[in-house]
Amino acid sequence: MQLRSQTVGRSLSGFRAAGGIALACIGLVATSCGGVARAVPPGTVVQVSQRDFAISVSPKRVPAGQIVLRVRNHGPDRHELIVVRTGSVLTGSAPLPMRTDGMTVDEEGLQPATVGVLEPGPTGSVRELQVRLAPGRYELICNMAGHFLGGMHTVIDVH
Amino acid sequence: MRTSHSFQPFAPRARRAVVAIVLTFALASAVGTALTIWKTGPSKGQAAVVEVASRQRTLAERYVEELLLVRAGAVASPAQTGSLLTRSVAAQLTGGEAPPVNGDDDSTRLPRQDDPSLRAQLLEEQRLVHDLTLAGRAFLAGAPVEAVSLTGHERLGPLTPTQRLRVLAALTSNVSLDIARTVANRADRNIATLTRLQVGLGIGGLVVSLLLAWALVAATRRQTAHFQSLVNSSTDLVLVLSDGGCRYASGSVTTIVGQPEANLLRDGFLQFVHDDDREVVENARRTGQPQTIVFRLRSHAGEWRHLEAHLTDLRHDRHVRGVVLNARDITERFRLEQELTRQAQRDTFGTQLVEALEMADEEETTLGVVERAMTEISSVAPTELLLSDSSRAHLERAAVSPTAGAPACPVESPFSCVAVRRGNPVVFESSEALNACPKLRDRTGGPCSAVCVPVSFMGRSLGVLHATGPEGRPPDPQQIAQLTTLATQAGARIGTVRAFEKTQLQASTDGLTGLNNRRTLETHLRALIRDRAQFALAIADLDHFKQLNDKHGHEAGDRALRSFAQTVQRGLRDGDLIARWGGEEFVIVMPGADAQGAVAVLERVREALARAHHGGHPVFTASFGVADTTHAATLEQLLQVADTGLYISKDAGRDRITIGEASALPRGLDPTGAGDEPGVRPARSRPAFHDAVSDEDHEVSIRLA
Repeated sequence: MQLRSQTVGRSLSGFRAAGGIALACIGLVATSCGGVARAVPPGTVVQVSQRDFAISVSPKRVPAGQIVLRVRNHGPDRHELIVVRTGSVLTGSAPLPMRTDGMTVDEEGLQPATVGVLEPGPTGSVRELQVRLAPGRYELICNMAGHFLGGMHTVIDVH
Repeated sequence: MRTSHSFQPFAPRARRAVVAIVLTFALASAVGTALTIWKTGPSKGQAAVVEVASRQRTLAERYVEELLLVRAGAVASPAQTGSLLTRSVAAQLTGGEAPPVNGDDDSTRLPRQDDPSLRAQLLEEQRLVHDLTLAGRAFLAGAPVEAVSLTGHERLGPLTPTQRLRVLAALTSNVSLDIARTVANRADRNIATLTRLQVGLGIGGLVVSLLLAWALVAATRRQTAHFQSLVNSSTDLVLVLSDGGCRYASGSVTTIVGQPEANLLRDGFLQFVHDDDREVVENARRTGQPQTIVFRLRSHAGEWRHLEAHLTDLRHDRHVRGVVLNARDITERFRLEQELTRQAQRDTFGTQLVEALEMADEEETTLGVVERAMTEISSVAPTELLLSDSSRAHLERAAVSPTAGAPACPVESPFSCVAVRRGNPVVFESSEALNACPKLRDRTGGPCSAVCVPVSFMGRSLGVLHATGPEGRPPDPQQIAQLTTLATQAGARIGTVRAFEKTQLQASTDGLTGLNNRRTLETHLRALIRDRAQFALAIADLDHFKQLNDKHGHEAGDRALRSFAQTVQRGLRDGDLIARWGGEEFVIVMPGADAQGAVAVLERVREALARAHHGGHPVFTASFGVADTTHAATLEQLLQVADTGLYISKDAGRDRITIGEASALPRGLDPTGAGDEPGVRPARSRPAFHDAVSDEDHEVSIRLA
């Protein structure tokens, strides 16, 4: 995958539960390893909020360039995030093409227009997706079964 | 914990450490169990939750299919499936029985869900099921499906009724799948957390246990070190002997031997035991007997230390597996005992020597005792006693060791002997040494060592006791002490015997004539009378002796007495005795003779006396009175009878021999019982006899030659 995905600020419950020295050590190692990727991401930050069954973004218009999508899943179910450029040759202004099951978007067909993907994340997770976006309209969707048709899609304008 | 009684200071620590280790393990186990219960508890019954969640997926799909089938006129029961969906999600949320599904499973018991995120998912599922079943009923009833209000936050776009139903079913199915995943993930997380906690607990317990074990080991080490110090600082020697030889030797043993313990282990120890004692030690090792042994151990200084060891057989004690020797160095005690024994031997020797010498009444027998004593002191050392002669100018070999012979010292004069000059014993280590006595050199036996002890009596040197030995090994101190005792005692005895012999001779003889004196003769006479022996007795008296003295001087008188004595002695028979009785009186005793026999002998004497008077000596005669044992029973009576004979001889003109008469004895004294006979001159007492023989009234007839 040409795009980097990462998980930040995972639940600290494991650390709270761990009282032992060994766990502290393990935690220390894990923390120091993650430290390398925790540099402040450059670019415009867009807050992306997911819940059953809606996606909202703020702001809805951002300047072109390096953009950081900070994706928070409010649940209660797992959700993924796919960023697809619309209005292109492939998609045009028409709705996104569906697979033959009639339930999910045809990801494979949209592959050239896809600029970023976050695999399904659990409730409460906050993840960041860095994308370099050229000016245009981009659609953010969750393509888990029924989620897209259930309402999990929104757009962001890059100018 | 038997040792704790004898070792209080550290035992409680060790005990505390052991208790703490046990408690730590117990605590770790308890916490581990609690953690397991705590962490696995929520996962209990979750398999049923997963099962029901996945079943919901199928039911949601089937529900839509059944709706479509019913619309197409086929037989299906979507209402029942919808009911299953609704009841199942309710059971998942609140716990309780999930309804059975035909052909799939029986009713399933579900736990109540308390986890907030899972509850949120279940509530979402419940809402979706609600929306789905409402839409389904509208669909069957031919009512507009899009008119059904939605509760599950889904925002459905402009879709056909079938599409709406399928999207709702897909969402329900997807949420159910998520629920199953959440439950499984939560179980996974619980197991992972539990594993981490258990690992942490294990490591923590291990660390604490190690610390406690270290404390225990330290306490045990201190304990062992304390015992080690006690054993090592003790003057007692501790050894453990087993089949493989020495297994342990305490510090005091290594100190004595001057070797590290490693050199004493196994067969090493025996190398330091005296050859003669090895069997004793080996036997003790094999049998654990007897209770006490004594053996010698070579010290680092090369001397033999005497050890007394008490044995404890601990071969069956698995902590020891050997015979324990608790030994004590008794060398000093042993030496003291030896010294006491030697002293006792010396004392015994001295006592026996004194007793033996006391029994020797002559020089000859004294020297015999000395020779036997020499053998007693040493049977191999040549020994001799050199004594000075009467001139005290020459040393003569008086006694020689009967077994070892004489060392043959060539010294001739007492004052040529260094020991005599010094008056103290002299020991020479070697005859070849510069300061050795020159008399030791060039002996036939080659170089030698020697001891010379002066022999003296009352401060006057008598000689020297001389003994030799191999070169460099003179007689030992004990022997020197015994030789000194011998020299002292022998000197005292020889001096005494010599003085006694001289005194005795002086006491028993008459100084002028050399004859026995009166006391000696009386002793003989009493012995004869006691034995009831027959003998004759004569009293002789020189005629006119006083006049001889007066006229010719005492010198002539003395010559006359000596001449008379010699003449009578020559004339007497062997066994006859003559003694000077006093003045010019002599008494002659002739054992076995009667008065007549005596007269015959005395006649020859009288004639010899007459013949002997020549050469310028004044001529003198003698008168004799004779008696024999037939005349009287006691010495006094016998003398009185002889005295009467003498009286008669004097009275009859002197120079004659007369047998006395028993009848002259006073009444009551007559042994024959006869009474006094008148006319007979009364017997005189001995003083009277003396008076008579020296009576001035006697006429003196001296014929000069």
